[in-house]
Formats: sequence, C-alpha cells, structure tokens
Amino acid sequence: MAFGIGLAIALFLGTLLLLGAGHDPLRIYSRMFEASLGDPDAWAITLNRAVPLGLAGLAVAIAGSMGLWNIGAEGQIMAGAIAAAWVARIGGDWPGFALITAMLIAAIGGGGLLAVGPAVARAKLGVNEIITTLMLNEVAIRLVQWLVHGPWKDPDSFNFPLAPMLPDQARLPTLFSRAHFGLLIAAAVIVMASVAVRYTAWGYELRIAGSSGATARYSGISLPKKVLTVLVLSGAVAGLAGGVELAGTADRLTETISNGFGFAGIIVAALALMRPSGVAAVALLFGAVQIGGQSIQTLGVSSSVSTILQAFVLFGAIGAGVFSRYRLSLDGGSHSIPEKAKS
Amino acid sequence: MTQTSTPGEEAQLSVELAGIWKTFPGVVANAGVDLAVRRGSIHALLGENGAGKSTLMNILAGVYRPDSGELRIQGLQHQFRNPADALSAGVGMVHQEFRLIPSFSVAENVVLGAAPSVIKTRQIERDVAAISHKFGLKVEPSQPLWQLSMGERQKVEILKVLWRDAQVLILDEPTTVLTPSEVDELGDILRRMANDGRSIVFISHKLHEVSGICDEATVLRQGKTVAGSLDMATTDSDELAHHMVGTSPAIATRPEAATPGRPLLELRNLSADGDRGVCAFSDVNFKINSGEIVGVAGVAGNGQRELADVIAGLRSPSKGTLMMDGTDITAASPRRRFQSGLAYIPEDRLGVGLAPRLSITDNAILRVYRQQRRGLFILAEKAMAYCSEIVSRFGVRSGDLNGPIATLSGGNLQRLLVGRELDGEPSVVVASQPTRGLDVQGVKAIQDLLLDQRNRGAAVLMISEDLDELLTLTDRLLVMEGGIIRAEFDPGTASRHEVGMAMLSHAQVTAQS
Repeated sequence: MAFGIGLAIALFLGTLLLLGAGHDPLRIYSRMFEASLGDPDAWAITLNRAVPLGLAGLAVAIAGSMGLWNIGAEGQIMAGAIAAAWVARIGGDWPGFALITAMLIAAIGGGGLLAVGPAVARAKLGVNEIITTLMLNEVAIRLVQWLVHGPWKDPDSFNFPLAPMLPDQARLPTLFSRAHFGLLIAAAVIVMASVAVRYTAWGYELRIAGSSGATARYSGISLPKKVLTVLVLSGAVAGLAGGVELAGTADRLTETISNGFGFAGIIVAALALMRPSGVAAVALLFGAVQIGGQSIQTLGVSSSVSTILQAFVLFGAIGAGVFSRYRLSLDGGSHSIPEKAKS
Repeated sequence: MTQTSTPGEEAQLSVELAGIWKTFPGVVANAGVDLAVRRGSIHALLGENGAGKSTLMNILAGVYRPDSGELRIQGLQHQFRNPADALSAGVGMVHQEFRLIPSFSVAENVVLGAAPSVIKTRQIERDVAAISHKFGLKVEPSQPLWQLSMGERQKVEILKVLWRDAQVLILDEPTTVLTPSEVDELGDILRRMANDGRSIVFISHKLHEVSGICDEATVLRQGKTVAGSLDMATTDSDELAHHMVGTSPAIATRPEAATPGRPLLELRNLSADGDRGVCAFSDVNFKINSGEIVGVAGVAGNGQRELADVIAGLRSPSKGTLMMDGTDITAASPRRRFQSGLAYIPEDRLGVGLAPRLSITDNAILRVYRQQRRGLFILAEKAMAYCSEIVSRFGVRSGDLNGPIATLSGGNLQRLLVGRELDGEPSVVVASQPTRGLDVQGVKAIQDLLLDQRNRGAAVLMISEDLDELLTLTDRLLVMEGGIIRAEFDPGTASRHEVGMAMLSHAQVTAQS
C-alpha cells in the first residue's frame, strides 16, 4: 500500500523532471521497465546487479543491527576481489569447483582481513569505526591500482590497467541467460544471516547489544567480543561480494571492480532499516532502478537526470515504507510515536 | 532594557508566578505554584526530586507552556511560546546539561544562536571579555571550549545568558558539576550580578550551599509552594529541611520484622569512581543478612547509582571487597553474579534492565536465553512459554508478547523487569528506585514483591529517594550523602525529619553526633 503510493509519487515527480528536461515520460518509463524487468535477459542483468548490492547491503546491515557503521564495504569488496584474483592466478590449473570455492573463501578472508584493524581498534580502544573503515577504502583502492598498473597487468591489454582474464574454470556458472550462480550464493548468505540474527542466541545477543549497550552489559554479554566478530563478519560478507563480482560479472580484476557497490550498500542497508531480512528486496529494486536508469541514457537522457530519477524511485518506493511506520502528531508536540508496521 | 535600579524600585519584583498549573500525561508536575523574586536578589528554589522545580523553571524560561496561571516579568504580563520569547523578556536559563560546542572558542559559544550576520571575532571577544570582567567570570574568550573544565564551561553558559542581557537568570542545580572552591567562586559571581540589579533563581536541594549563597528561598513539595520567599537571614536549615521533607507520618503499617539469618551480602571498604572519573563513593561497609531489607536513602547523585552498579558488576570498584554468601565476587562478571543468585533491578529500566527496541518476549528471556537453546537456536516456543509465565505470575498487562516492549506502560514494564529478576528465587536482590514514577497500585505491587523476597529469606538492598517507602519497608536504613554512609537509623523509631536532615546536610549530622 505505502509502496504503491510512494512509487506513484516518485513517478509523478519523475514525470515533472522529464517534462522539464524535454523528454517523453511514457517512452522513458517504458524503456526503463523493459531494460530492467522486461524479459529474462533483462532480469538476468538486473539480478547480476542486485547480487553485489545485496551482499554489500547485508554487510552494512549486519554491522548496523549492532549500531556499528561499516563505511568500508567498498574497500572490503576490492580486498575480496584481490584475494580471489590471487587464488585464480596461482590455481589456474585446479579443477573448477575447487578453484571457485577457494577463490570465494579467499574473498571472504580478504574482506574480513581489511576489517580486522577497525574491529580491534573499536573493540579494544573505542576508536570510531566510521573513520577507520572509510580510510581503509583508500588503501584498498591504491592496492588495486598498483596491482593492475604494475605486477598483475595483462601484457595483452594494450597498456590498459587490466589484470588478465580469469581462466574459464574460475568463472561462476550461469543459471539462465547471463544470470550467474552468484545469485544463489547471495540468496543463501542473506537467508542464513537473517535466520542467524532472528533466531539464534548469537543473533539475540547482537540485537540486545544493538538496542542498548547498557542492557547487554547488564545481562553479561561481552561487548568488545561482539563488536570484534560483527565488524570482521561484516567485512567478510563485503569481501564475498567482491569475489562473486569478480568471478561472476567482471571476469578480471580492474580498478573499478567495486563499482561503488560498497557505498550503495550503505543506502541498501539503511532503506532495509538495517535488517538483514529486508536487504534482498531492496537490492533487487535498487538493481532494477540502476539498470533501467542506465538504459535510458541511450535515449538521450543525461546521466544526471537519470540519476535523479533513480533516486526518486528508490526513496519514493522505500521511503514511503519507512514513513508509514510513523504517526503524524498535529497537537504541536514534536514527538512522533513509532508504530509497528501493520503491512 | 531596564536601567540600573533606583532605590525606589528596589523592592520591586522581577518575577511573579501565580497559580501555575502544569500536567503531563499521568503526572501533575505543578499544582498551583506561586513564586515571587525580588529584583537584585538571589532566590533559592528548593524541593526534593520530583517536587516540580525543574518544570516550574522550564515554564519561566519558555520551554514549557503552563496549563494555567499568570507569569509577570518586571511587572509586565507575558505568555512565552518558546525560549526566545523568554530571552527577549530578559529571562535566561543555565541548564544542567551544557549546550556548548567543544571545537568553538568561548566567544563563539557565547554568541551561538544569536550571532550577527557578520561575525567580527575581535569585537565579540572584546564584548565577552568586558562582561566576564564585570562579573568576575574568569575565562579567556579566544580559548577553545574543549580545553575548559566543567566549572569554566558553566561560566560560558552564564556568559551566554548575560550576553543576551538577561535580567533574570535561572541556574538549574549549578553546583552539581563544581568543586567546593568553585562553588564559593560561583557565589561571588552571583552576588556581583545581584548587586548589578539582576535576579537569580538558584535551583538546588543542597541546603548548606543555599544558606551561604541565597537571600531568599521558596520551597516546593509535590507540585505546590509550601513556603514562599523565606528570608534566609532568619531561617535556619532545620526549618528549610522541615519544609522540604514535610512531616507526614508513615501511612502504611510496618510489616512484621523477620528474623535475620546469616549475612548474604557484605561490602568491605568498597570505593568506586563515577562516570567522570571522580570518586562516587568511598569506604562503604555494610552487611545484609538473609531475611532483611536494608534501605539506602539519599538525594540523587550522592553515589547510590554507582553503588548499585558496583554490586551488580556493571562498574569496577577502585578498592574494597564484595562478598556474597561467603564468596568473594569482587571480580565476578555480571552473568556469574546473576547465576549465583544476585538479582538487580536497575534505576534505568528501559535502557539498562530492558532493551528498548526488542519484543516483550526477547526482554523476558534476557537472563535465561542460554538455557533455552537447542544448538545455535533459541527455541521460540520455550521463550514464549517463559514469557507468558512471567506475564501471568507477576500481573503484567500486555498485548502481543511479540510486540515491542515500548508498548507496555511504566508500571507493567517494571512488573516484567522485577518478575524476570525474581523468577529464579535469588538470594540477594538489589533494587534501585524500584517504585519511582509508578502509580499507587504499581508501587504496592512492587513493594509486596520485595517484602515477599525478604520473608522468603533473601537479602534485599533497596535504594530509594522516597523516605516514606524506606521507613515503611526496610529493617535498617542507611543514609548516603557525598558518597559516604553518613548515618544508620532504625526505621521503627527514626523520624522522617531526622533522616531528612541527614540526607540534606552533612553539617547538621556532625553537629548532632
């Protein structure tokens, strides 16, 4: 219900925007829809985009459900991709299943490793994890740049900063059209994380700590230990996103391997209200909007108008869901009472 | 604005509040309060916690709007819609929590929110320096705020109000953040402002400070004025304390004394620091025996909260030993303490005892979720069954048990929390402000539960600001003031007045003993 109203508002605002920019809204909207959800091929592209968005969003949401901000998913994705690419380099002659498994495990390790520093600093010394994770993005970017410009540069790349193509057995199998196996990996990880947070004792402690650190201490939950595991886990999930993106979509390590997914993941997680269970749906919508938004640029819509349009749809559709949880109070008091959503 | 007062105007009133009423949902904070403050005087507003002092001052400062009543400043009637209205009428408030920006300089903080569109730093610093020189507020205008002590920050807050040319200054418990020598200095500063023709309203519940600083005093109790504009020169602190705590006899009959058994909780030379690293309490020694309720009386902020936290294991003592039933638990974790039979009902219910954003069930199982696991999972049915048992046994009125805890009313929150803590038949119960803010039924229910624990043979520590409650329920009553156990009373024979005096002024107790 709220979703529909929000979408309608977004489309209306978008119409005004497109008319103002001199475009035919109907033509633009139908192209957006066709390119993202119109046929199985379009679905495949959208799903491939939703996979890294969903995993990055999950990474941020895991930390967020404990009140921590992992702003470093972007760098952790790169670290995961680097680790996976490294395994592919040394294990080029391994059988496919073993190679891919090893790559993804390495990706998890790489992302987790990049989060260890901020996690320890936060848990032991109380250093703000927002700053440290953000700064490590820069480190990961430079590392990728150095690798693809230097030691890992493909001699056949005509001097472009690209690592060599992955061997065929290092690529994820496809499910249908171009949709790759990463979809099932992401779905499984999101389900596992949602179940873990909702139904396990570990998740219970996480939710207590996220709701009130003082209550966690009161009941004997060790906060430093929790902070450490949660931040490293968050980094590991982001790292997995990097590995899946490398082996599923990119097929080679490039400077732009993370493609902003780590930052988009923050938006995904925030719109999912930091709930792992909400990440999948948001990521799918986000993916569809991104793919649709990119497609209309071929119709002469400038990239900035396209980006604004994407933002309208995202915030209209999901933001409405967020606001429908509040009740407007008109008695002059500035308190709005959060209510459990009825939908 | 008002010029320096001429002798003829001196007797005039700068603040007149008449018949002020203010209710919040379920609470009457002010029930027809009157207050009159003479121009050029320092006026103390006294009262126990919850007497309505802060509400009244927030009304005077334009933060709250009264339900009814009249408000006159310098003889003119006003209806303030917001603090800016009050400021333009010359009323400024220095709140207990400072509203300052650490990275800004003193001068920038002073003009914050009222700065001219072009900020001439030098000019402002000179203006601020002039005001601080005039009233003896020693701070350097160009110094960044983060370098300042709490006492200096308070001076910045006072400067903020003076820079806006307030003629009436309200200081909400200004001495809580100050060292004794800073308190003396504050007294001098306030005197200079009064001599300049300004009026100061000084909110406090510390009698010995008030008598040194203030000219007049008004005492509030339970939302009403019980004594207006007493002349401090002719009123002794005995009389003030009498007004503050009242003389109402203990209403309920005392429960039969139980026969105390062996000591279950023992504190030996226990000391601990507060949040700001200053000593919160020192060398506390007492024992609680099986079948005994020991009460700790005291005005908030005298170390009771920290004492409860140390016993529960949420704060490390700086010194001393804590024994439970003969075992040293000084270093035990909160979970270990609970498992060995120590229940803790914290003062902060939603936020320490209960997790605000989780469901009723999630909160009910906080102490026992580890026993409801199968493998990694918490068994939902088991958790639910446990929660409904607590809910029915302790009379928690609730809707959906999977609904958010915040849907429960204050009394039901406390029943759930107390029920959860008492469910495992603990041997020691620490209850901090267990009945604060509850309605009559809720108070009775919680008090009965604590008495049941005593009669069952548990050792109960009850920390409260409600003297009547302590005198009625406890078997022994300790008074804590300034982080020290000042006195011990037998609640059966002690008078409310005696205990109140010990709570309020250290000086009086030493004089008596």
